[in-house]
Amino acid sequence: MLKDIITPKKVLFASDAHTELRGQLSRSRGATLVSGNLTGNSRQDISGISARVYKNGTYGFSSMAEYSPEAAEAVLRAATENAEFMDKHVNKGKPALPAVACGKQTLQNDIPDIEQKLYVDFAKSIDGYVSSKYKNLVSRTIAAREDSMEKLLCVSNGFDSHTCLQRSYLYVILNAETNNGVPVELFHAFGGEGGFGVNFQNPESLYSEIDALYERLMQKREGIYADAGEKTVVLGGMMTGMLAHEAVGHTVEADLVLGGSVAGPNLNKQVASELVSLTDFANTAFGEKAPLPVYVDDEGVKATDAKIIENGMLVGYMNNRESAQHFGMTPCGNARAWAFSDEPLIRMRNTAILPGKDKLEDIIASVDDGYYLIDSSNGQADTTGEFMFGVSMGYEIKNGKLGRALLDTTISGVAFNMLKTVDMVSDTVTWASSGVCGKKQPMPVGMGGPALRCKVMIGGR
Amino acid sequence: MEKYRNIAKSILDKLQSRGADMAHCTVQESEMREFNVDGNEFSLFRTLFNRYIGITAFIGGKKGSVSINRFDDEAIGEAIENCISAASVATPDTAWELANGNGEHCFKSGATVPDTEKLFFRTKELLNDIHTRHPKIMVEQMIVKHICAKSVYMSTTGNCYLSERGKYVSELMYSAHEGDKSTSFFGSDVTVTDLDKPFIDCALIERELTDIENQIDSAATEGKFTGKVIFTPACLVSTVFGNICGNFVSDSVLLEGTSLWKDKLGQKVADERITVSFNPSDKRIVNGERYTGEGYLSEDYDLIRDGVLQSFMLSKYVANKTGNLRAKNSSFALIIEAGETPLEEMIKSIDKGVIIGRFSGGSPGTNGEFSGVAKNGFMIENGKITHALSETMISGNLADMLNNLVAISKETLVDGTVVAPYMAFDGITVSGK
Repeated sequence: MLKDIITPKKVLFASDAHTELRGQLSRSRGATLVSGNLTGNSRQDISGISARVYKNGTYGFSSMAEYSPEAAEAVLRAATENAEFMDKHVNKGKPALPAVACGKQTLQNDIPDIEQKLYVDFAKSIDGYVSSKYKNLVSRTIAAREDSMEKLLCVSNGFDSHTCLQRSYLYVILNAETNNGVPVELFHAFGGEGGFGVNFQNPESLYSEIDALYERLMQKREGIYADAGEKTVVLGGMMTGMLAHEAVGHTVEADLVLGGSVAGPNLNKQVASELVSLTDFANTAFGEKAPLPVYVDDEGVKATDAKIIENGMLVGYMNNRESAQHFGMTPCGNARAWAFSDEPLIRMRNTAILPGKDKLEDIIASVDDGYYLIDSSNGQADTTGEFMFGVSMGYEIKNGKLGRALLDTTISGVAFNMLKTVDMVSDTVTWASSGVCGKKQPMPVGMGGPALRCKVMIGGR
Repeated sequence: MEKYRNIAKSILDKLQSRGADMAHCTVQESEMREFNVDGNEFSLFRTLFNRYIGITAFIGGKKGSVSINRFDDEAIGEAIENCISAASVATPDTAWELANGNGEHCFKSGATVPDTEKLFFRTKELLNDIHTRHPKIMVEQMIVKHICAKSVYMSTTGNCYLSERGKYVSELMYSAHEGDKSTSFFGSDVTVTDLDKPFIDCALIERELTDIENQIDSAATEGKFTGKVIFTPACLVSTVFGNICGNFVSDSVLLEGTSLWKDKLGQKVADERITVSFNPSDKRIVNGERYTGEGYLSEDYDLIRDGVLQSFMLSKYVANKTGNLRAKNSSFALIIEAGETPLEEMIKSIDKGVIIGRFSGGSPGTNGEFSGVAKNGFMIENGKITHALSETMISGNLADMLNNLVAISKETLVDGTVVAPYMAFDGITVSGK
C-alpha cells in the first residue's frame, strides 16, 4: 500500500495555478493457458508520481518512475515549467477553473495480493475440466487476470483522496467448427470488482455456467446466417451496454463534443425514444454498488452520477473541470488517468441505459420475425454516432418464439436514429466490466443495460 | 549504459543462484516530451521520465515473468523472488528457448536528443497549415512527441544488446465539418527521425486531409452489388494484412491449429504480383527492430513473395511447438511491394466499385470472412469518383481476396512504420440500405 508522501508537498503548490499531485501503484497478475499450454505467467508492478499544473488555459504535466519526496518535488517543478512554457507560447488567457467541493476521501477497501500459484492453479483446474469434459472443441483459452490501480491524490482545490480500484476475472474462450468448417467461438468473463482470491475460491462454482457456454457454442455450430437488412431485434443487456458505451457514451464525452461529435448540436434535443434514459453512474446504481465504483476522480472532483439522456432528451455531457467550465455544466468526476504517467482524460465509469417496465419474455413474444441478439464480440463507433457491433451469440425469433442460433454477424446504425426506434425496454439490467476502453490510454469501465426492442441493420453473410 | 548493464548482470546472477537454468532481462530508461492539441487548441505539454525492468526466468522448462519500473535494490530483489516463484509453479514445457551466443552488440539510431523548441514549432505549424489549407477540418486530437530510450538486453545464453534510440511521432485525429454536416473521424500518423520537413508534407497527411474534406457531402449506397474495392495504404495495412497476419500466420492460430494456411508454406496463397515482407532494416522504417523478444538478432524476411507463402510469423516457442521455423524478426515492419499502376489509372479502370480509407468491422474469423462499415470512402462509377460514402457495408473473404487482385498502385504510404501502396481487389460485396 502507498505511504502518504505527497500531502506534505501541498505547501509547494503555486498559488496562481491549479495543481494536482498523484502517487500511483498499478499491479497486474495473470496466467493464460492456450489449449493446455501455459503461454502467459506474469506479474507487473508499476509505480510512480506525477504532477499536473493548469495555468491560464493549458496544462503542464510531468511524471517520474519513482515514488519518493524528491520525485514529488521534481515533477512539481517540471509540470510548473511545462505549464509556463505553454502559457508563454500559446497564451490562451483563460480564467482559473471554478472551485469544486473540498474534502478528503480515505481508502475504502483492502488491496489483497495473492501468490502467482493461485492464478496458475485456478486456470489449470478450469482448463482440466473443459478439456476432459468437452470433446468437440478445436481449441480453448483460459486466462486468469487481476489488475488494480491504487492512487493517492492531492489537489489545490477539491477532494484529496486515497482510492483503489481492483478487479479480477477468469476468461473462458471456447472454439469449435461447424460441419462446413466455419470457425465458431464463444467467450465468457467471470468475476468483477475485487481481488482474485476473493472472487475465485472454488472452480466448481463456475462449472454450470461453463456448461451453459459450451451448450450455446454447440447451438451456434448448428447456427444459420442472419438475413441481411433492417430488422426488428431484441438487444440483450450486454448488447445494450455496448451501445450505451460505444455509440452514445463516447459522443457525449465533452472533449469529443469540442472535437465536433454529433452530441454538440443535439444538446437539449430529442435523440431517442421517450423510453430511453442513460446515466454514467459513479459508484452506486439501482441501489447497489456499481460494477467498477469511482468515488473521487483524478482532478479531485467527488464523483456523482452524470445524467446524459432523460426520457429521450440529451441533457448533459461527461466533463472534466475545464470542459464543465466551457459548457457551464457541473463536473461529475469523469476525469480519470490509467497509469501514474498518464494525465486525466474524460472517461466513462459505469454507463448504462436505465431499465423499463417490460418483461424480457414479453418482448421476445412480441416479435413475429426478427432476432434476439445476446452478446457482442466487439464494437466500434464514430463521433457521428454511426456504430458497428459484432454479434457473437443470438437466435432468430419466429412468431414470438426463439428459434435457431445465429452464426457471427454484425449490426450497424446511427445511434441517435436507432434509439428513436426503441419501443420496449426490459425491467432488468445486465452489466459487463471485464474489458478496457481505449482512448489514448486504456481504462476499466462498466457498461450495462436492459433488453431493448428496436430496429437495426443486421449484416448477412 | 554501464549502469543498466550492471543491473542486468546482477539480476541474471541472482536468478541463476536462485535456481534459474535460463533467464533474460531488459533494463531501460526512457524520456518523452509530448504536446497535445484538443478541439483545435493546444491543451497540454508533458514530460515523462520512465524506467522499466522486465525479467523472465526458466526453471526446468517452467517459465515465469515479472516487470517493474523501479531500480532500487529492494524492488529488484522482490521482483527476482516473484519471478522465481512464478516460474516454479508453471507447467514444464521444453519448447521455451532463447537465442544462444550472439555476444555483445550496440544499436544506436534515430533522434536520441530532442529539440523541444523545434518540435513545438512544427506542431504549431501543422495546426496552422491545417487551418489555412483545410479550413473545414476540425482537429479532434493531435499528439506530437519525442521519445528516446536507452536499454540493455542480456540473457544467460550469451547475448548482450545495448540500445539507444529516439524518434518523433505525430498522431493526428480529425474530421471535417460544414454547418450541421460532419464526416467520420480519421487518423493520420507519421514517425520521423528529424524535424527537417513540415509534418503536413510527411507520409500522405496532406492527401488524407483533402480526402476527408471531400467527404462532407456523402450519400448512402442503395442496394447491393459485387465489385472492386480499392483499399488506401493505411486501410490495406490495418484491415487486410493486419488481419491476414493475425488470422493465418501468427503464433496463436498456428498454436491452436486454426490457421487456413497452416499447410500452405511454399504454396501459392495470393496473386503473383503480391510480395509482402517484414524488413526492420529498411531505411524507410524508423528505429526498426534489431533483436526479438527471445534474443535473436533481427533479419529481414518475406512473408509472401510473388504470391507464394514463404514464412509464418512465429516465435521460437511456437515454432518448436508446431515443428516450423521461427520468423526472422518479430516486428511489424511491413513492406508491401508497390506496383506499376498510377492510382488515377486504377480508378479509371473501375466501372463500379468503392475506395475506402477505414474499415469499421468485427475481427474476421479464422476462415477470413469479414463484414463491416466502409468508412472515409468514395463511390467509383464509370472510372470516376462520384460521391463520398455513408451507411455502406463491405463483406468478403481475406484469403479469396488475395487471389482476386485487380491492381497495385505506384504511389505508396511511407510513414516510418510501414511502406504500403493502394491495392484493388475484385469480388467484394458492397451493400447499403
